[in-house]
Amino acid sequence: MSTDSDAELSSAEPSRSSRRPARDTERRIDRRSLLRAGDGPMVTFEGVTKRYGTDVLGLDDVSVTIDAGEFVFLVGASGSGKSTFIRLLIKELDATKGTVIVGGRDLGKLRRTKVPYLRRGIGCVFQDYKLLPGRSVYENVAYALEVTGDAPRAIRRKVPEILSLTGLSDKSDRLPNELSGGEQQRVSIARAFVNHPRLLIADEPTGNLDPDTSIGIMQLLYRINRTGTTVVMATHDRDMVDKMQMRVIALEDGRIVRDERKASYATVEQ
Amino acid sequence: MRLGFFFREAIRSIRSNVAISIAAVVTVMIAVFILGTFIPSYLYVQSTVNQEKSRLDIQVYVADSATTPQVSALQGAIANLQTQGQVKTFSFISKAQALSKLKSELSDQTILTLLPNNPLPASFDVIPVDPAHDAQIAAALHGNGAIDTTMPGQGIDYAATTTNRLLSVAKFIQYTGFVLILILLIAAVLLIGNTIRLSIFARRREVEVMRLVGATNWFIRWPFVIEGIICGVAGAIVSVFALYLAKLFIVQPWIDSNSNQLTKDTASTISFGALALILVLAGGLVGAFGSGVTLRRFLKV
Repeated sequence: MSTDSDAELSSAEPSRSSRRPARDTERRIDRRSLLRAGDGPMVTFEGVTKRYGTDVLGLDDVSVTIDAGEFVFLVGASGSGKSTFIRLLIKELDATKGTVIVGGRDLGKLRRTKVPYLRRGIGCVFQDYKLLPGRSVYENVAYALEVTGDAPRAIRRKVPEILSLTGLSDKSDRLPNELSGGEQQRVSIARAFVNHPRLLIADEPTGNLDPDTSIGIMQLLYRINRTGTTVVMATHDRDMVDKMQMRVIALEDGRIVRDERKASYATVEQ
Repeated sequence: MRLGFFFREAIRSIRSNVAISIAAVVTVMIAVFILGTFIPSYLYVQSTVNQEKSRLDIQVYVADSATTPQVSALQGAIANLQTQGQVKTFSFISKAQALSKLKSELSDQTILTLLPNNPLPASFDVIPVDPAHDAQIAAALHGNGAIDTTMPGQGIDYAATTTNRLLSVAKFIQYTGFVLILILLIAAVLLIGNTIRLSIFARRREVEVMRLVGATNWFIRWPFVIEGIICGVAGAIVSVFALYLAKLFIVQPWIDSNSNQLTKDTASTISFGALALILVLAGGLVGAFGSGVTLRRFLKV
């Protein structure tokens, strides 16, 4: 299935990029990013508990599996544990108890010096965009490639590709503070996806955006998911979740209270 | 290969934080300037002390009227003291040698042409094992017939009290000088570390983003380290230039106007080229060290 979607996404790219270099890139990124390729689940939480200090509970005995290629909404009120869940995925935090496995790697056993390599295989999109100020759109996206040690020639090829894919071609010399919120979020997504990660995490990506702009962002994330990339998105955005009808994992006080496929934001009974 | 990228990043960061970069450069400049005045002064004092220390020998003046057997008897007495372990070495300085030594110490040699004959006596230059035992050696030689008792110290000349004082002063200068240089260096590193901390603090969000996209710690650190080196070396070069001007227009005229008309100052100090090299290296090192260490705090997780 992923081959089909790949072709669909590629059609938006300049014709020069054939399928072969793309596959080369993917193989190399996998090696560098530590994420193991394969048919196993992309994310596995086994009895994960995260405590802050002694009494604040972030996650409480959470077990869940997310398969490769899935699109998952993580919903719940503020303080329900969504952000904790996300931060555990990129090892910004370590679980107090239980096992977090991402791309076949047990993050509890991952050495701290390896964390950067883990993150290269995971695209991250945040509510506040987290762009580097003082750098143009082009430079922000290119930075993610500089980090992985891509050759200048590869960078000059890949960045325009991803910018045209995200509809930013004519903004490439702008600074982040000269862009609208929606455009900044597109830059953030371009940066997250330029390495073609197998997992993309989005923490309230539409949190600061108006509904119309949000739809554009959601469409972009959906297209990325169609290329085979697993997408995990934490959100409050009820309308969006209802419209998409994807898998929904609902958190409440650090526990999973609902996990449904093709679901809405709230339960049907309500 | 990545060096070009790191350099570009460092330059970008200096340009986007001009005020802080200037602060870092000025800090290094001041520290290096102080170090640059202190090192040569310290070495000069050190050299002077060593010179004075080498003068703590005993001059045994030989009378012009002494016969050859008398002189060799005196030599035997001194050699005897050497075998007893009180004298380290000794040498005979003839009248002619004494004159030529004086010649080498005079800056204006025309004065010597005015002498009708050589007024300097021959002498034994006796170097004691321990300058504190000068008095014992003098007592042992006292009353020898070859000695010219009209000379200072009845022909056996040594600096009794100044000897010990000079030795303790020399030690004091050595220790305090070392401690002062150490304190200066530590102060410089702390000051620069603080300035760089400001610069990093201003960009901790940027560092956070870099970590999120998978930059390794060294990938983040190199531009900062290079930035530190650039600021350190720039500060050092500016202050080396200032030191050179100071040497040219303040120190040299002062030496010229204050130096003794009769004798040359033979105490030596470090050459300016070597000093400049040391200071520039120190500036770069301190800059690199300051930023590398300061960044550690921001690179956890």
